[in-house]
Amino acid sequence: MRSLFTLGTALLLGGAFAAPLEAQKPVTLLNVSYDPTRELYKSINAAFATYWKGMTGVVVTVNQSHGGSGKQARSVIDGLGADVVTLALAYDIDEISARAGLLSADWQKLLPNNSAPYTSTIVFLVRKGNPKKIKDWNDLIRPGVAVISPNPKTSGGARWNYLAAWAYALRQPGGNDASAKEFVSKLYKNVPVLDAGARGSTTTFVERGIGDVLLAWENEAILSIKELGPDKFEIVAPSISILAEASVAVVAKVAKKHGTYDVAKAYLEYLYTDAGQEIAAQNYYRPRNAAIAAMYAAQFPRIPMITVDEVFGGWRKAQATHFADGGTFDQIYLAGR
Amino acid sequence: MRLVRLNGAFLLLTVAVTAPALAQQDTTPPSPAALEQRLEELDQRIRVLDRKRELAADSAAAAAKTRASVTAGSGGFSFTSADKNFQIRFKGYVQFDGRFFHDDQAPLVDNFLIRRARPVFEATLYKYIDFRVMPDFAGTAFTLFDAFGEVKVRPELNLRAGKFKPPVGLERLQSATDYRFIERGLPTNLAPNRDIGAQVAGDLGLGVLSYAVGIFNGVPDLGNGDAELSDRKDVAGRIFFVPFAKQGAQAAWEIGIGIAGSTGREEGLPATPGLAGYRSPGQVTVFKYRSSSTTPLTGTVYANGPRRRIAPQGYINYGPLSLLGEYTISRQVVSRDTGATRTSITLEHEAWQAVGSFYLTGERASFKSITPKKNFDPANHTWGALEVVARYGQLDFDDAAFTGNRYADSAASVTKEKSLGLGLTWHLDKNIKISFNYDKTSFDGGTATGDRRDEKFISTRFQTAF
Repeated sequence: MRSLFTLGTALLLGGAFAAPLEAQKPVTLLNVSYDPTRELYKSINAAFATYWKGMTGVVVTVNQSHGGSGKQARSVIDGLGADVVTLALAYDIDEISARAGLLSADWQKLLPNNSAPYTSTIVFLVRKGNPKKIKDWNDLIRPGVAVISPNPKTSGGARWNYLAAWAYALRQPGGNDASAKEFVSKLYKNVPVLDAGARGSTTTFVERGIGDVLLAWENEAILSIKELGPDKFEIVAPSISILAEASVAVVAKVAKKHGTYDVAKAYLEYLYTDAGQEIAAQNYYRPRNAAIAAMYAAQFPRIPMITVDEVFGGWRKAQATHFADGGTFDQIYLAGR
Repeated sequence: MRLVRLNGAFLLLTVAVTAPALAQQDTTPPSPAALEQRLEELDQRIRVLDRKRELAADSAAAAAKTRASVTAGSGGFSFTSADKNFQIRFKGYVQFDGRFFHDDQAPLVDNFLIRRARPVFEATLYKYIDFRVMPDFAGTAFTLFDAFGEVKVRPELNLRAGKFKPPVGLERLQSATDYRFIERGLPTNLAPNRDIGAQVAGDLGLGVLSYAVGIFNGVPDLGNGDAELSDRKDVAGRIFFVPFAKQGAQAAWEIGIGIAGSTGREEGLPATPGLAGYRSPGQVTVFKYRSSSTTPLTGTVYANGPRRRIAPQGYINYGPLSLLGEYTISRQVVSRDTGATRTSITLEHEAWQAVGSFYLTGERASFKSITPKKNFDPANHTWGALEVVARYGQLDFDDAAFTGNRYADSAASVTKEKSLGLGLTWHLDKNIKISFNYDKTSFDGGTATGDRRDEKFISTRFQTAF
């Protein structure tokens, strides 16, 4: 009887503490991004996985999360375990740094071009033949013109739209903050639906057939035409637009906790390689690399662009003035409802 | 959708165009261009309304993903966090029993009783940490049966600490709501009930091999302990092989076979003997060690040395047929002081049983509870599941206990009990069952003049569990 007990105990303890041998572990990253980057990062992720496997032998899988940029930033602040964020504007990443302390305040200095590896701008997507004859920003405030744009409270693209319109109004003869506010106010009176993100607005305009003009990311507008055919939509380049710098950063605290920091950093650095820049261009983002930008120049309309820094004094100031609770957008939009 | 939208637009258009016209008695028909423009405007309005409704639905669905959820069903009630990592569950069961002794003599009393009234509180914290608390409010005393926390590191490794069932008796490890008869069989007399300690357990190979090993205060047979009599601890362990576990419900056979046991040392005193009394199926005490109520308790038998149990066990379920068997040996060194003289002896009691059941209504038998193919629903002429059960078991007390009546009194305690049971269980649904059992138990010894009279025990149970 005694030997039976001994044998049983030995078997039990042996089973309890035996651990399977593990080979080199695959790595999984979560990239929390904004709305229209689905196609871009689908290509980037596949290319980077091949590149990283060749470099290190490690299999890397990048999972994606997409939504309005502001909403995505809020999710990361609230605990969504992003290893990297690739958002529509720097301010949203600043918020992650300031509110959750998940990355350092100087994150923009850690990668070239202020951590914005590609740019875009805001253009108009109209229905084929441009039935409402929309040519510039001032056409958007005409009675009877329905404008589709997402909600600046949740969407990075929408904030670019808003600021581009504001900048246009400032540049009109006698333009000042009051006239710009009146202009933008009229514009939002023509917005019948506020989607949470840019992809939602594209759905509203393209698939649901609502509105006369979509204020769109340039890449999103070109993609719509490529996918749905030039016989359905056309792009109108306004007289002026805004340089939209989409920003990227490693969420250092999370990535270190996951043990993925080095891979996450390499993933973002890959965006600056020739291969990464070419993939960006193929997905209709304007590459930073001059040579590759020249190769793809024909697909992008020539548009004079202002920057947030020069017109609005930077994102922090623009956010506080226009998009914070009680800011100009709230005054305009709530008053108009 | 488009057709509906256009029809709606046309209706609105008709109303919009004709109403003012009628009001003004203006008979001038609108131009085709004006009609077309109006139609287009109305179509856009409807599209906008549709889209806003769509966005509101998306928004509600997204919000639902971040909200805690509440569920209620046959498995109890639960509150679950949006990320599923936190959960509180409330379950419970009540058993209302009737006990009737046929052809008996006093003092066996026929009675109704609440056998168990147990609310069960369970929670999951941070996905990997569970806890469970289960008191029992039946009878006159409040008893805490389960109170433990468990860290689920991985399926192969769980760490549990608190008060719970030591991994020994097979029928004991079955939930009180699931075993076939109203009362557990004779081998359960020799297994611990609840004990306080810590345990490592897990399933290997997707459940093909499970193990559990733990260290406990140590309790007597059938004991439910909250205190420790000495510094010595018991180690209990079980290893169980379920060859078709990987196939799950697809497997035709559900087979489990294993061995469990415990080893330790109990050092009681005449005032706290650390020994058990043993029962018949009718829950009547049929064996007890000698004791004295006269201070200094001279003559009381108490645990005083190694205590070991070994319990090979298994079950087979095939279709509606179920067989369960277990054999348990419990060995304990006991002492008795008479004056300045102490005598000690190792006593070994053994018990076994075989339990069979068959679902007349064709349900698939399981070690756990079953769900009837058709729930009790008189309006639709469905009546639940019907199960017949049978068992035979023996509990043989060590004859050495009766040598010179030194450790047990043969006039008061039996040397052996043999029990045959038959029964019928009606499962109204997953939550309610009604049982009828008949157990005939014969005894060797137990009275001054020979064998104790057979116990003919009729029992009924109405059980509600959720």
